[in-house]
Amino acid sequence: MTWRNPHFLGFAARPSKPLRVALGSALFVLCLALYLTASHLRHRDNPQDKILPSFGQMATAVYQMGFQRDTRTGEYLMLVDTASSLRRLFIGVLLAAALGLVLGLNMGLFPGVEALTAVFVTVVSIIPPLAVLPILFIAFGVDEFAKIMLILIGTFPLICRDIYLYTKKLPYEQVIKSLTLGAGAFTTAYRIVLPQVMPRLLEAMRLSFGAAWLFLIAAEAIASTDGLGYRIFLMRRYLAMDVIIPYVFLITALGFAMDVSLKRFVLWRFRWYSGR
Amino acid sequence: MKKALCTLVTLACLVSLFGGCAAQKEYPIAWSHYTGWEPWDYADAAGILKKWGDKYKIKIKLVRVNDYVESINLFTAKKYYGCAMTNMDALTIPALGGVDSTALIIGDFSNGNDGIVTKNETMVMGLKGKKVKLVQLSVSHYLLSRALSMNGMTEKDLTLVNTSDADIGSVFLSDPAGIAVTWNPILMNVAQSKGVNLIFDSSKIPGEIIDLMVVHSDAPDELKKALVGAWYETMAVMNGGAKAGEALAHMAKSAGTTVDGFKAQLATTAMFYKPGEAAKFARNKKLATTMEYVRTFSFEKGLYGQGNKTKDFVGISFPDGSVLGDRNNVKLRFDDRYMQMAADGKL
Amino acid sequence: MSHHDRFLALENVYKAYDAKVVLDDIDLAVSRGEFCTLVGPSGCGKSTLLRLLLGQEAPTAGAIMLDGAPLGYADTRRGVVYQKYSLFPHLTVLDNVLLGKRITAGALASRAVRSAMRDEAVEYLRRMGMADHAGKYPHELSGGMQQRVAIAQALIMKPQVLLMDEPFGALDPGTRENMQVFILELWEEAGMTVFFVTHDLEEAVFLGTRLLVLSQYYTDGRGDGVQRGARIVADYQIKVASTRSKETADFGAFIAQIRREGFDPECRRHVADFNLRHPDSFHTVSAAELQR
Repeated sequence: MTWRNPHFLGFAARPSKPLRVALGSALFVLCLALYLTASHLRHRDNPQDKILPSFGQMATAVYQMGFQRDTRTGEYLMLVDTASSLRRLFIGVLLAAALGLVLGLNMGLFPGVEALTAVFVTVVSIIPPLAVLPILFIAFGVDEFAKIMLILIGTFPLICRDIYLYTKKLPYEQVIKSLTLGAGAFTTAYRIVLPQVMPRLLEAMRLSFGAAWLFLIAAEAIASTDGLGYRIFLMRRYLAMDVIIPYVFLITALGFAMDVSLKRFVLWRFRWYSGR
Repeated sequence: MKKALCTLVTLACLVSLFGGCAAQKEYPIAWSHYTGWEPWDYADAAGILKKWGDKYKIKIKLVRVNDYVESINLFTAKKYYGCAMTNMDALTIPALGGVDSTALIIGDFSNGNDGIVTKNETMVMGLKGKKVKLVQLSVSHYLLSRALSMNGMTEKDLTLVNTSDADIGSVFLSDPAGIAVTWNPILMNVAQSKGVNLIFDSSKIPGEIIDLMVVHSDAPDELKKALVGAWYETMAVMNGGAKAGEALAHMAKSAGTTVDGFKAQLATTAMFYKPGEAAKFARNKKLATTMEYVRTFSFEKGLYGQGNKTKDFVGISFPDGSVLGDRNNVKLRFDDRYMQMAADGKL
Repeated sequence: MSHHDRFLALENVYKAYDAKVVLDDIDLAVSRGEFCTLVGPSGCGKSTLLRLLLGQEAPTAGAIMLDGAPLGYADTRRGVVYQKYSLFPHLTVLDNVLLGKRITAGALASRAVRSAMRDEAVEYLRRMGMADHAGKYPHELSGGMQQRVAIAQALIMKPQVLLMDEPFGALDPGTRENMQVFILELWEEAGMTVFFVTHDLEEAVFLGTRLLVLSQYYTDGRGDGVQRGARIVADYQIKVASTRSKETADFGAFIAQIRREGFDPECRRHVADFNLRHPDSFHTVSAAELQR
């Protein structure tokens, strides 16, 4: 009588590949079924129900928003919204990453910089940016710049602190070693430490995208002329869930795609990082 | 042991007794902050709602929802039996969402409560080519649209920036070239600031932005009667009743302003204190003209949704039996009967 | 081999962290080409002494000189091989070895110079038996291979002194012995000066031409209440031929003697009785300390 790993239950479970796929999709299928049932029931009572639109209604909406030129502006609204949002998101997160990298790296390497900024950055990171919006309006206005700044302020502290702590944790032996190989402070920081921190930076960015989306949507809800968040908040005014739900799917898909591609990129580009 | 059992049984009896009392059906009603709707809060606090509920053997639970649009969405989702909203939102959210709704009470119309404020421009003509901040697709948008058409312009002449109502005040004030369309109390706060011009307001389109209490058409008669009764008793108190001072102080506090400030807001709100006046307004032919403007605006702005090719898709009925749009799909009903009953003292 | 040239010299070196004295008046002269091994009980300050030599920390008092010039913060005069973290994980084996050359050559080095550097690095790797692994990352190598690369990385810079901090401490016994033989071959071939810290007495005796024992277990005239830091309590010149075999009786007896002199808290020698037999050895102590 030989011992076998169970398929599903227990610590020793080893789900087979088909079972793994089935399990992975089970909750999605369940959610879909729940939605379809609820939507069907609501439409039987009220054919004009807007809260849980049918897939047909959503398909029409997606066709109108994504594949028909808008009568007023002559543009494909979904495309314009997506492009605007992604532009803001990337500029904001990239700026936050660049600043967080430079400051975090120097904080982790140079005790003087650390003493100057560490407490300040920690305190600033605790302030909820959305609570001090009016101050941000006065400082940055309400246009594109303000939206990017809100994303920057929302994601910078996390990235900066992560890089700072990671840099600080790098063995000090490496700094000494690089000095014995002829490097100065600058070379050590930017030629030895920076490349080692890069994959960590990409991971910090990956984790920051969640917060960045949140701040992007918040910024677009406050004052905007386009963007995914703008459209959702505008459509909310008349409960057009047939537009909102596809937009939410679009955001989810974009977020998922960015997450996976960043992860893949780190695995591919920084073989040494994932291999340790 | 026996004693304890006795106590338990007595307690159980008491609970079931109170339970019996609570078996009266409870009807949640939603409202959000706005000058013309503050009386609801007073009616609740002063026990007027309870009194009328008791009279019709129902229980009315008034719920303040912080977010105006969300309150209408929840009404449309049938989480509330009634909700305070404007005529335009009543058409575009519940009615177009297939929920048969009745404008039970016409509380007031905006007579300056909505307006366009600017930092530099002094006339509507001056808005050409500028960026205007507003809550898009709201009554502000409607007001702007009417202001533009009265000045021979269209929306294409300017850029609209959708701005949340929570932030529009601070956004406008922090912008040296700001232009905003908004409503009270934000409007009054910013209009009083130095260097701010009020270039257009709803007193130029009187009777077009109407504030209502909307209920589901299939709501029970008792609920409709109790709501109307309570409302007009509150109106009577406000309008020279013995407790007018107390009532205004309560409403001012609820609105987050002083009594003087609240009175100033009331001055730009054309309240129908007498049920007869409100019923008459409902029967006036002009209401149909207004709703024609509103539905045309709503249709042109895409508020009818993606699939609907005509503004006649949904029907709006009036007290005289006339209908705007599809007679077989009436989803918004202006009803004067209950207000008339109040006027006749038949409630 | 030894010329008694005081190539590396420490005079009256103290190191204290707040009130805690770790190193207490270290006097030491090392001649060019010497293979110095340093042993001592754990926590005695071996690694602290190495960090002072490396320039990772500054001494609280005293002078450290290399070839007549004072030693400051870490620089290319010293090479180092640690037990871990010697290699940069983000660089391939070849890039790790080339790093020092590239940094010192600067960004403007000509193509010919770069090509020569590369040839040199490959030659080093070949000598380490690592030529086949040039494109791998450190995490893909075994511990012994990593240390070979680390040695190449340090040696290619031709440091005046090579400092090693328990470089074979994390290796399994077989690999460790191979590496010991290997480092001796390199030392004999290059004639370099090595300062080698280890906690393994056999390794110290096997490798060194000179063995230093650092210990806090001693007495002096300062009384019982004094908080003493470690001193060099024994200093042996090792005759190469007799110690290259670990199996002899002499070898075992010698190790037992060192163990007694430096590692036994019960056996405290007086400052005046330190076993400082090496010709380079010197020790400055005050009259008060010499009191019994």
